[in-house]
Amino acid sequence: MLDKKEYGFIKNDEDWKKFLKKEKINDYSSIRVRRAKMKGWAKIAFIVLRIYIIIMLIIVILGFLHIV
Amino acid sequence: MQGKSGDRFDINEKLNGLPVELRLRAIDRLKVERLRRNKGLIYRLLLIIALIGPGILVMIADNDAGGVITYAQTGSIFGIGFFIPFVVLMVPVAYFVQEMTVRLAAVTRRGHAEMIWRRYGGFWGAFSLIDLVIANTLTLITEFIGITLGMSIFGIGEGYAVLIGILFVSTVMLTLRYHKWERVSLIIAFFNMIFIPIVLFAHPDWGMVAKTFLNWNVPGGLSAIFIYVLIANIGTTIAPWMLFFQQSSEVDKGIVPADIPSGKRDTFIGACIMGAVAISIIILTGTLVFGAQRVGSPSSYDISFILSTIASKVGMLPVKLFALGMIDAGTIAAIALTASTSWAVGEAFNWPKSINLPFIEGRKFYIPGLISMLIAALIVLAPKAPLGFINLTVQVIASIFMPAALLFLLLLVNDKQIMGKHVNKKWENAVMVTIMGVLIVMSGLYGISVLMPKLI
Repeated sequence: MLDKKEYGFIKNDEDWKKFLKKEKINDYSSIRVRRAKMKGWAKIAFIVLRIYIIIMLIIVILGFLHIV
Repeated sequence: MQGKSGDRFDINEKLNGLPVELRLRAIDRLKVERLRRNKGLIYRLLLIIALIGPGILVMIADNDAGGVITYAQTGSIFGIGFFIPFVVLMVPVAYFVQEMTVRLAAVTRRGHAEMIWRRYGGFWGAFSLIDLVIANTLTLITEFIGITLGMSIFGIGEGYAVLIGILFVSTVMLTLRYHKWERVSLIIAFFNMIFIPIVLFAHPDWGMVAKTFLNWNVPGGLSAIFIYVLIANIGTTIAPWMLFFQQSSEVDKGIVPADIPSGKRDTFIGACIMGAVAISIIILTGTLVFGAQRVGSPSSYDISFILSTIASKVGMLPVKLFALGMIDAGTIAAIALTASTSWAVGEAFNWPKSINLPFIEGRKFYIPGLISMLIAALIVLAPKAPLGFINLTVQVIASIFMPAALLFLLLLVNDKQIMGKHVNKKWENAVMVTIMGVLIVMSGLYGISVLMPKLI
């Protein structure tokens, strides 16, 4: 329970609604996030990342086979 | 009319009308707002304290049991010559990378796993989630090893040590809601600084410590061991789970764009503490253990050898304090890793994802983290568990995962559609790309070096 006097800056419904809106309490993740279209340097970066992962996986498999 | 005059307006009534996790978050934010509106030094200070949390937690949790052992080994193998300035250099690196998660959290109010899943699709989302969950579970094993090692100094058996660890972490996670969870975690994190006064037992030559910045050199020249220790130090300073943990934690804390400067301050303070703890451990073992064995001798890697050398030179008290630090480091990291797994799984599957949820309502959220902790604990207790092999696997997974995690971070923080005016500035991107380049090369080398040591 909050002490009403300490939170006197919220005096009425309007203040309460303003607070909820400012803090986005009810609409927390309000920014819409859609699937990104890959283009430019990002597209190249993802290709490089795939190659890096494949190389690392090959090294991991070879390494583990070596250990076993 | 009710509420218009304010006479019959009851803030507690309004709060009770909200779902439990939103109610608790609203209360936390009301407290922050109240502190903001009050003038005076005390209120300013209280506001700063209220807004610290995820940044300090992530940085101190990064000084986990494995990290503490790595810093102890670093000092005992190479002394203070190279690695004191190096750790100082790593402080802004850690800050730079983690600060971006503050901005992402404040603007998107979504965790890192959720952002990757939604923005870059199921393949990369699943790739990140699987990597993170496996790496977190395996890292938890190293935390329990640290806890059992620390408790063994006080004569507590392995089984009891693991049980105490599980019960403590579960209790913190299941019984405390976000604000109290964060405050209790901060108190535990505070004890990580126990490593700082321990260094006084070594009576280090502070003049020599200062001179390391003037005569920065590699003792014994570049060697395979040096590269290995260098990469291990980078790996302990910045890790993929940290990005996921801090972003989710900031979201659960409820920060808004106006809180970004406070989040940055929190991260900066955390990075400085992380650096101070790391430097203290390196000075301690660099002063007392370095030179006790020749460089590269297997003993210099062994934490038991390091602790017994410290005990033989300055007595058992610093060793006992060091053991307490190990228990604390393992515990705070276990709390962070368990929460990180729960948040990431909740975000990926769009399940409830807040520590503000009571267990029954948020069981889908809590169970993945708890299961990962139980698996880790059982592996530690299993007879003949291949712990060396597990430690190696942790490093390899981190090596593969790190470039992907950093790439997603860079893409997200430069995404104008999402970040608006909070996108990276050009100079920030230049610094970040440089850090990424070094980390990718080092992570790759580390992955190769642990699996194919003859190659490096």
